Amino acid sequence: LKGQQASPFVLRARRSMDKNGMPWHLRYLGQPEIGDKNRHALVRNCVDIATSENLTDFLVEMGFRMDHEFVAKGHVFRKGIMKITVYKIFRILMPGNTESIEPLSLSYLVELNVVAPAGQDVVSDDMRNFAEQLKPLVHLEKIDPKRLM
Amino acid sequence: GQTGKLMYVMHNSEYPLSCFALFESGPCLVADANFDILMVKLKGFFQNAKANKIESRGTRYQYCDFLVKVGTVTMGPSARGISVEVEYCPCVIANDCWNLLMEFMQSFMGSHTPGIPSVFSTKHDSIYSPADTMVQYMELFNKIRKQQQVPVAGIR
Repeated sequence: LKGQQASPFVLRARRSMDKNGMPWHLRYLGQPEIGDKNRHALVRNCVDIATSENLTDFLVEMGFRMDHEFVAKGHVFRKGIMKITVYKIFRILMPGNTESIEPLSLSYLVELNVVAPAGQDVVSDDMRNFAEQLKPLVHLEKIDPKRLM
Repeated sequence: GQTGKLMYVMHNSEYPLSCFALFESGPCLVADANFDILMVKLKGFFQNAKANKIESRGTRYQYCDFLVKVGTVTMGPSARGISVEVEYCPCVIANDCWNLLMEFMQSFMGSHTPGIPSVFSTKHDSIYSPADTMVQYMELFNKIRKQQQVPVAGIR
């Protein structure tokens, strides 16, 4: 959503492809928090909202425009409050049509994330400890979202 | 550069964990309570017409299979009218029970019984949902907003 601010407001909408009738998931992720350089994980303000299936129509009515869409297929693992996803990203060949897709690459993307109450920074230490256990199979690194934009 | 479009965010105590967001002739989104938090974050992108906040508060009656909610509609400190909500619980296809609803309403509302709501005509035979109730409240509240406030004047 573009406003008078310099950076547009970004929302992520997600739905399950293998379970019908489940709510859509809407997520807002804020800017990385200050003091982030010493932390082992990227920390951002997060608001998660479950919504009805007309979410995309509604967002367009609000003035949002779709930036990109993709399909993710893979697995979700949990360890306590940590969630590890291993998935392949697929490019959608025709907008809105999830039947015709092609893999973006042959590799899987491994992501470790945690949703925790504000201020619980110690969580990032648990994440780093877990990430260590995955070496040398996977090298998990903290990403800098600004570099990717 | 959009012409002013109004988005209504509504809450209903019958569905305490939900938040409803709707446009006048557009989609009605049903979301969980976190939607309100998101709206706070979106403050800079929209003009808040909070002064127009309208509410209906009252009593909920259960009579056999019917639910009747009678409330006083207030806008800020002033009372603007009375709302009556009638629901026939066992039926989920709106058009199938309109006649029954009308008969029931006539028994206590007499000439105040309303005509068939506009949402029913668009629904055809699809299943009634809480969003349809919110659309009706939005229409009712808008009607009340447009009404002139009855001036309380001393007549000598």
